[in-house]
Amino acid sequence: MQDRLHILEDLNMLYIRQMALSLEDTELQRKLDHEIRMREGACKLLAACSQREQALEATKSLLVCNSRILSYMGELQRRKEAQVLGKTGRRPSDSGPPAERSPCHGRVCISDLRIPLMWKDTEYFKNKGDLHRWAVFLLLQLGEHIQDTEMILVDRTLTDISFQSNVLFTEAGPDFELRLELYGACVEEEGALTGAPKRLATKLSSSLGRSSGRRVRASLDSAGGSGSSPILLPTPAVSGPRYHLLAHTTLTLAAVQDGFRTHDLTLASHEENPAWLPLYGSVCCRLAAQPLCMTQPTASGTLRVQQAVEMQNWVRVHGVLKGTNLFCYRRPEDADTGEEPLLTIAINKETRVRAGELDQAPGRPFTLSISNQYGDDEVTHTLQTESREALQSWMEALWQLFFDMSQWKQCCDEIMKIETPAPRKPPQALAKQGSLYHEMAIEPLDDIAAVTDILTQREGARLETPPPWLAMFTDQPALPHPCSAASVAPAPAWTQPLPWGRPRTFSLDAVPPDHSPRARSVAPLPPQRSPRTRDLCSKGQPRTWLQSPV
Amino acid sequence: MSYIPGQPVTAVVQRVEIHKLRQGENLILGFSIGGGIDQDPSQNPFSEDKTDKVNGWDMTMVTHDQARKRLTKRSEEVVRLLVTRQSLQKAVQQSMLS
Repeated sequence: MQDRLHILEDLNMLYIRQMALSLEDTELQRKLDHEIRMREGACKLLAACSQREQALEATKSLLVCNSRILSYMGELQRRKEAQVLGKTGRRPSDSGPPAERSPCHGRVCISDLRIPLMWKDTEYFKNKGDLHRWAVFLLLQLGEHIQDTEMILVDRTLTDISFQSNVLFTEAGPDFELRLELYGACVEEEGALTGAPKRLATKLSSSLGRSSGRRVRASLDSAGGSGSSPILLPTPAVSGPRYHLLAHTTLTLAAVQDGFRTHDLTLASHEENPAWLPLYGSVCCRLAAQPLCMTQPTASGTLRVQQAVEMQNWVRVHGVLKGTNLFCYRRPEDADTGEEPLLTIAINKETRVRAGELDQAPGRPFTLSISNQYGDDEVTHTLQTESREALQSWMEALWQLFFDMSQWKQCCDEIMKIETPAPRKPPQALAKQGSLYHEMAIEPLDDIAAVTDILTQREGARLETPPPWLAMFTDQPALPHPCSAASVAPAPAWTQPLPWGRPRTFSLDAVPPDHSPRARSVAPLPPQRSPRTRDLCSKGQPRTWLQSPV
Repeated sequence: MSYIPGQPVTAVVQRVEIHKLRQGENLILGFSIGGGIDQDPSQNPFSEDKTDKVNGWDMTMVTHDQARKRLTKRSEEVVRLLVTRQSLQKAVQQSMLS
């Protein structure tokens, strides 16, 4: 059986390589080869791991590589099919107007991912006993691109799983589907199940000794890229940590917003699963999209614009169509130097555009009329183009823009800011997670210098602006209006109030918190009362200041 | 920007460890605490230390009574507090500049 499996794998590999070659799709082929090499590396690392946490990282890399390989293979097959069926491949249309208009691509970025957990009250506050820990990460897929977040260790003291990663996909269409999957694994050895993986390990190692398996072993040992077949199918878990799918969801254009939103998660595992985590059932994030039509100029050229309605004075300008505006610069260089344009004409979903030929300007009859409605007034700009061809190409650009706006919808109202994610640091040697208590030992008690030394080491000189928490000492805290109407008015970014309003505090014992002084961009909590303080509603504003000796 | 109770906040803190004193039958700390989420902060005569955590227990959203109870547990002889104070931030800033 093992032999047959290996033969099938070899054939798979050969077939895939042939397909890639025949399609002359060097880019996809290169990516596939890269992932296969990474996979080999991860397998070797996993076999050599001694520490559980290293094994967790290696298994995660393996999982991501596997997923990528499968997705690239799928993509290759699709392209091959398309080619065989006679359609042109994924090459951009070279000449002639497209028979069907297709929308422009865009960049989609998901950031500030946060998944709330729901520990039982007693567990959270007691904080006693052995701390059961889990390793979790998110796998994100858009089209054939797969990306992963960093791995985070979770335990009972965390109220939410917060990922620092910014994940960017650069080639998304407006019909994109961003699939999000949460994987988890136990950090501690899975108690009763430790027996099983070890038994599997001995079985495999003995079967690998057979002559058919020796070649496989050899390919594992040999330097990568020698051409001998690596194992394509997922390596069975050989006494290593196993990740389980805990939850998933799919996000589309409708979920895009320049702000934070909560989305429902479909839970995929149940309590018997060793890696089960008490998930609240939602994920909070900022999903932003930047269609190319908003960030790149879609047309430019010379135009003549009328300075005032009755005058025959036509001024020559350099027009640039970008996003929802047609900028008319005095000179072509102004567009790059950041000079203010002479005139800016808004182009949005309500704008009406007409091409025409006027006799008013002999010699340059080809005109473009752009009308916008401002309240009760209609403002029309008339622009002259150089030639009929120029007019046609301006019209084409405008029609394409209108089409893009109709497809990308809310993403074309205003440009959503997307931060280019900084290259993620490779996972540091995971030291045992210490709490701030251990890190910030201060002796003697008043040695502020010790604090500043620790802080400088951790984050450099980032504490220039006074952090928001200082407001605790100066301002009157903005107390939420007690006894606000029974229907708690949530902040607009939330789609549902929490049924149990346990105060959310980021545990100081958690993953190294982000100390940056920028306002922590988390979905604002609705100012509602927690069940514990429910009875305060009846008392109205607190009026006392109690002091007690302890 | 003002601080809204219930919203997460990141602060510079100092660890303080206090061993309780014995006074007859009881173990006491020897100081008083004031405030709590159910108290009116405008009546606070002091503005110095604010306690974030006591022996691992979160103190940022507790009522006066809960805070008092957590500090006066008979079974605990040592109390470890995470405290934040305004002067910490100033000190940090000054030493960063120099």
